[in-house]
Amino acid sequence: MRAALLLLAIAGALAPDPVSAQEPDGLALFVRPDKGNCIACHRLPGGTGPATKSDIGPPLDGARLKGWDSDKLRALLVDPTRMVPDTVKPPYGRHRILEAAEIDRLVEFLRALP
Amino acid sequence: MRFPEILALALFACVPVAHAGAGAVRADIAARLAAAHPGVAPADYALGAAAFDDERRAQLEANTPAPEAAAILAEGKRLWTRKFRNGRSLAQCFPNGGRRIAAAYPQLDAKSKRLVTLETAVNQCLRSHGEPILEAADAAAMGAVLAYVRSLAEGQKIAVRIATPLAEERFEQGRRLYFTRMGQQNYACASCHVHNAGKHFGDTALPAAPGAASRWPFVREGRAISLQSQVRECLERMGAAPFPAGSDELSQIDYFLTALATGQPIKPNAWRPR
Repeated sequence: MRAALLLLAIAGALAPDPVSAQEPDGLALFVRPDKGNCIACHRLPGGTGPATKSDIGPPLDGARLKGWDSDKLRALLVDPTRMVPDTVKPPYGRHRILEAAEIDRLVEFLRALP
Repeated sequence: MRFPEILALALFACVPVAHAGAGAVRADIAARLAAAHPGVAPADYALGAAAFDDERRAQLEANTPAPEAAAILAEGKRLWTRKFRNGRSLAQCFPNGGRRIAAAYPQLDAKSKRLVTLETAVNQCLRSHGEPILEAADAAAMGAVLAYVRSLAEGQKIAVRIATPLAEERFEQGRRLYFTRMGQQNYACASCHVHNAGKHFGDTALPAAPGAASRWPFVREGRAISLQSQVRECLERMGAAPFPAGSDELSQIDYFLTALATGQPIKPNAWRPR
């Protein structure tokens, strides 16, 4: 039993981190022009990312995102035109700008904003 | 969804302008921009991003004239006056050696029913004299020629009027392209340059559509960037395959934007940062 637990622990340590170095984290997905590039339209709270003049979309912070649970945020990012047909927010999921796992990490990042 | 969220998304929205004739489209776009930026004079739209950003305006003034413009204009003049094998030149294809002609382009050729942009006119001249044509997207050659011939019309007011059913049709084709969402990002040109003009994409204020046709080409990193090249760059940023240089689609967008700018003076060869 003890040996089995030890093997499991070793296997866990050797297993690749779900968010490995090759996979951009939430901030990178928010900032990188080849990923979400959300920073082009939305400002972040001071100290949480690059400071920009971006004002096409509303500035994002914990207060703004209060009431947006993960499912609702994910749905918005996958295809914002379903909520607001005329929005200029890109359909990150529908147009395959981001993969599903990347949208999940972006949702986590947004939900954690102060 | 709570009201503030709906409001925020609504403000983020891109509402198309329904076509109701060139005059009505011009008035509608002008009214939208005036309502969004009551402190900005329409004549300043020709400054591009600098119309909406004091820091950028100071940079532009510090770089006026554009440091690299003189070399581009010298090359443009050389190409414009260069003798063809038959002894003629580009300058001899146009009235007054090409002085004060640029404000009338694009023109609508009634016979072929096609638009003749300044690039097309340059290449028609070259072709008619058995000379190799210039690539519309070649900043070093065509860009320099355009910079020079547009400099010969500096201050001249753009005079592209939509006065016939065919002109309305071409204008509408350009308007439709400008307002159609394209590419992976699902933007239309108008998403940025009409509905969000003056707002900041990152640190850059978005230029307003009615200023685009008066200020081209601009000078960036020693190259003259034409209006059609700017549109192609935007299409790439939108994640769309750009219309080919010299295509009818780009000519129609050029025509639409130039008609929006009718009455504004040509202000070519201004500095633009990377």
